[in-house]
Amino acid sequence: MEQQTPQPITESKIVGVPTPRIDGPLKTTGTAMYSSDHHFPGLVYAWPVTATIASGTISGIDSSSAEKMPGVLAIYTHKNIGPLYRTPPSAGFSMILDERRPPLEDEIVRYYGQYVAVAIAHTVEQARAAAEAVKVTYNKTPHDTSDKLLDTPTIAGKLKEVTKRGDTAAALAGAAYKHDAVYSTPTETHNPIELHASVAVYKDGKFTLYETSQAVVNHRDVMAAMLGVPPENVQVITRFLGSGFGGKLWPWPHALLAAASARNLNRPVKLVVGRSMMFQSVGHRPAIDQRVQLAADKSGKLLAIQHDYVNHTSMLDDYDEGCAESTGFMYSCPNVLATSGLVRRNVGTPTSMRGPGAVPGLYALESAMDELATKLNIDPVQLRLLNEPEKDESTGQPFSSRHLKECLTVGAEKFGWAKRNPAVGSMKDAEGRTLGWGVAACTWIATRTDAEVNVELRQDGAARVACGTQDIGTGTYTAVAQMVAHETGLPLQRIDVVIGDSGLPPGPISGGSWATASVVPAALQAAQQARKQLLSLSTKTDGCPFKDKSVDELEFVDGVVRIKGQSSGGVPFAEILKTANVRSVSGTGKSTGLFGDPNQKFSFHSFGAQFAEVTWQPEIARLHVSRVVTVIDAGRMINPRAARNQIEGAVVMGVGMAMLEATEYDHRSGGPINASLADYIVAVNADCPNIDVTFLDYPDFNLNPLGARGVGEIGLAGIAAAITNAVHHATGIRVRNLPVRIEDLLVAPGNKTS
Amino acid sequence: MAEHTDDASKPLTSLEKLSRRSFLSRAGAMGVATAAATVAPVVASAEPERPQPSGDPAAMPEIPGTIPITLKVNGETHQLRIDPRATVLDTLRETLHLTGTKKGCDHGQCGACTVHVDGRRANSCLLLAAMHQKAEITTIEGLGTPEKMHPMQAAFVEHDGYQCGYCTSGQIMSAVAMLHEPWGDADTDVKEALSGNICRCGAYPNIVAAVQSVRRHA
Ligand code: FES
Ligand code: FES
Repeated sequence: MEQQTPQPITESKIVGVPTPRIDGPLKTTGTAMYSSDHHFPGLVYAWPVTATIASGTISGIDSSSAEKMPGVLAIYTHKNIGPLYRTPPSAGFSMILDERRPPLEDEIVRYYGQYVAVAIAHTVEQARAAAEAVKVTYNKTPHDTSDKLLDTPTIAGKLKEVTKRGDTAAALAGAAYKHDAVYSTPTETHNPIELHASVAVYKDGKFTLYETSQAVVNHRDVMAAMLGVPPENVQVITRFLGSGFGGKLWPWPHALLAAASARNLNRPVKLVVGRSMMFQSVGHRPAIDQRVQLAADKSGKLLAIQHDYVNHTSMLDDYDEGCAESTGFMYSCPNVLATSGLVRRNVGTPTSMRGPGAVPGLYALESAMDELATKLNIDPVQLRLLNEPEKDESTGQPFSSRHLKECLTVGAEKFGWAKRNPAVGSMKDAEGRTLGWGVAACTWIATRTDAEVNVELRQDGAARVACGTQDIGTGTYTAVAQMVAHETGLPLQRIDVVIGDSGLPPGPISGGSWATASVVPAALQAAQQARKQLLSLSTKTDGCPFKDKSVDELEFVDGVVRIKGQSSGGVPFAEILKTANVRSVSGTGKSTGLFGDPNQKFSFHSFGAQFAEVTWQPEIARLHVSRVVTVIDAGRMINPRAARNQIEGAVVMGVGMAMLEATEYDHRSGGPINASLADYIVAVNADCPNIDVTFLDYPDFNLNPLGARGVGEIGLAGIAAAITNAVHHATGIRVRNLPVRIEDLLVAPGNKTS
Repeated sequence: MAEHTDDASKPLTSLEKLSRRSFLSRAGAMGVATAAATVAPVVASAEPERPQPSGDPAAMPEIPGTIPITLKVNGETHQLRIDPRATVLDTLRETLHLTGTKKGCDHGQCGACTVHVDGRRANSCLLLAAMHQKAEITTIEGLGTPEKMHPMQAAFVEHDGYQCGYCTSGQIMSAVAMLHEPWGDADTDVKEALSGNICRCGAYPNIVAAVQSVRRHA
């Protein structure tokens, strides 16, 4: 069903037009239904009991008093939760999960906060009180939550080569200009405002699961395998998702606790993960150490890049952050080596967090580029322009569409970069605050995965488009409606978008920024197929003016069937369906992805440039990100309004990454100690800089006929480096251990306390 | 909603179907869908039946350990049985099924649960329902409906003042309360006034734009 190279679509009345979200009125009135909003007769509540040690075994669980508390229905432990299985190996985008051990599998505890029991009761307060009354005793063994990662024993015993060309060691040894530093990023926690949640309904051997999922189809497959039932006995529904940032891509153990409890009790169970538990058992971006070595000649031409990174993972699962994702193609350089290593710690299993790999990787690489520029006494924008590659030097493929140079020059222009005085602390604003200006380049993968879409044209005059993908806040509902509106000419109000259900034609995960790009070919094809069926029906329907015409003589324009080119005499498609007494015509589109295809002709990536300004008041040690200019080359924006919002939101998260966010483990207990939104600080409205977003308009027709790539992640890439580079420009302090803490800056020149 | 009748000829977008109100009137007696019914068509029918969000204590099975209370929400007085430890937030969501008010932290740290109590904004996760029997509580549902939005709700749509929408009820309730609080005119006033409402999606610039557009026209 893979279509031939489709024609690029350059003109559209709706694609590329800033469009208010079709789901906006639901979101602003509290009527959009998120997973934990679902309620059913007889529903009861689950509250997990979490381990208070980070390593050891459970020696005993005494639930006798908890069981007698009012409203308590059951306490489940590893002794009585009933069958839960591990998954078979994953294939493609099925059977993926990061924490593979089912909850309550045995008495072993490997991280603080691991579920050791779950209490079920009539009210959420009763369930929580019962959970707190369960007495668990442990045999403790030593744990390791150390965040020193480089030069500690890796799982494989040595670093794994990720990308390699040339002879990096020789080039580093012989170069005139070198840079060598270690950059550390802490454990970061996604913290979507919507808590992870499961509402599990069990009936006659079948599960209906309202989940917080960025990937309902995979979620269905995993849950079926782990519950030990055929996939057709599980339906996973996520109508609206309170975002996820990667944390809700794959199932986590609480979903199994809810489903197993519903099965055991034969009644609906709601489990909402507490905020503190969100720091423990629903994934995080791991702590990472990265050593970056660069070598250049006097002119600034890169001669060598070596990038070695080590990230922590949990005791059972091997999560590789992939920090060197872009190291091989970002710049032209003859000698490149990147390696990776994983070290085990007693922490919950890490997972993808917005821009996995590239975001921390580019923090390191783009910080190093800035440091090299200082050593070479070259402007940091110039250094990047100087090292622009002609093609992807890691694969030899041409770039499908790369305009990084233009991102940098347009950004420099908008930011006023030409006025930058490179001397540290030399620039002041009108209020006398010290200014720091920094720049970083960024990139993120572009691709498509398999997608299937169904489009129906109905007798009521509306179209229905169905796809088992999700809207996580990125605007998928609206983007899909725009695609079908483009193809059918129907107004958005008459397009009914149905997503977020594993029973629909399988759609892409909402991750990797590729959901939109993946849906495009299948959605267009489905709409075309539905149109074909409509035209064919028109030629076969008694009483229809087009009876016995040939399909080739007809066209479907703006919801009307007519003779090609004739603006009069058209018949609205609803009438044709009514005349024929056919409820609907439909078409299915199916597209095969490019993801992981070794034979693809192009290297697909988005690019961008981030310019940041900080203000620094040494007298009171106050640092603020005041302004960000970001220029993004990510193909065509289907809905520029939602796309700009994505980039701005990513910049806000980047401010958090650079200045605020770190999950701190208490090494005595092994638990995340700042496990709340008061202690794990994310950017609030007052932290938000002025943000200026520009999209370069280069549709990437090699990726799909609308030329759309995706913008969920790229906005976060590079931003932390742009900010720390600006901090260096303002203060002379190079922070290589995120986030930038005020303590780091107390020694800055001009600071009175230093 | 009166306009959402069972008239099959009237198209109802799936988004409308996802709204609780239209669901209540349309999806009636579908019962809990079995997974076997998952083949694509009429996905809204996979939504199981929801109880009416009204407090008829007689219709409720008595849960051990619960107490009767009265709660006035959006001008309506409800007789309920709740756990004495229940917060206003959990009572709204779990007993009254007014799920527009969201829980993001349960600790007064995120603002997702913001409601108005006697006209002032408050984090409903920090209030015990049993202690608010005399209060006039207003939730996002009391502000407007998809068909008849409050100007602040409409401004959030117009300015794309959200992404995932999860903090949005709280942002809007805070913003509406702010209109009656002593703040200056500047964007920075809005940023400060709404800094108790975390938007992890980072839609802050658009939130400020939405709130300012309403303040300018107020
Ligand atoms: S849920 Fe009440 S402030 Fe977060
Ligand atoms: S819109 Fe997602 S948290 Fe604000």
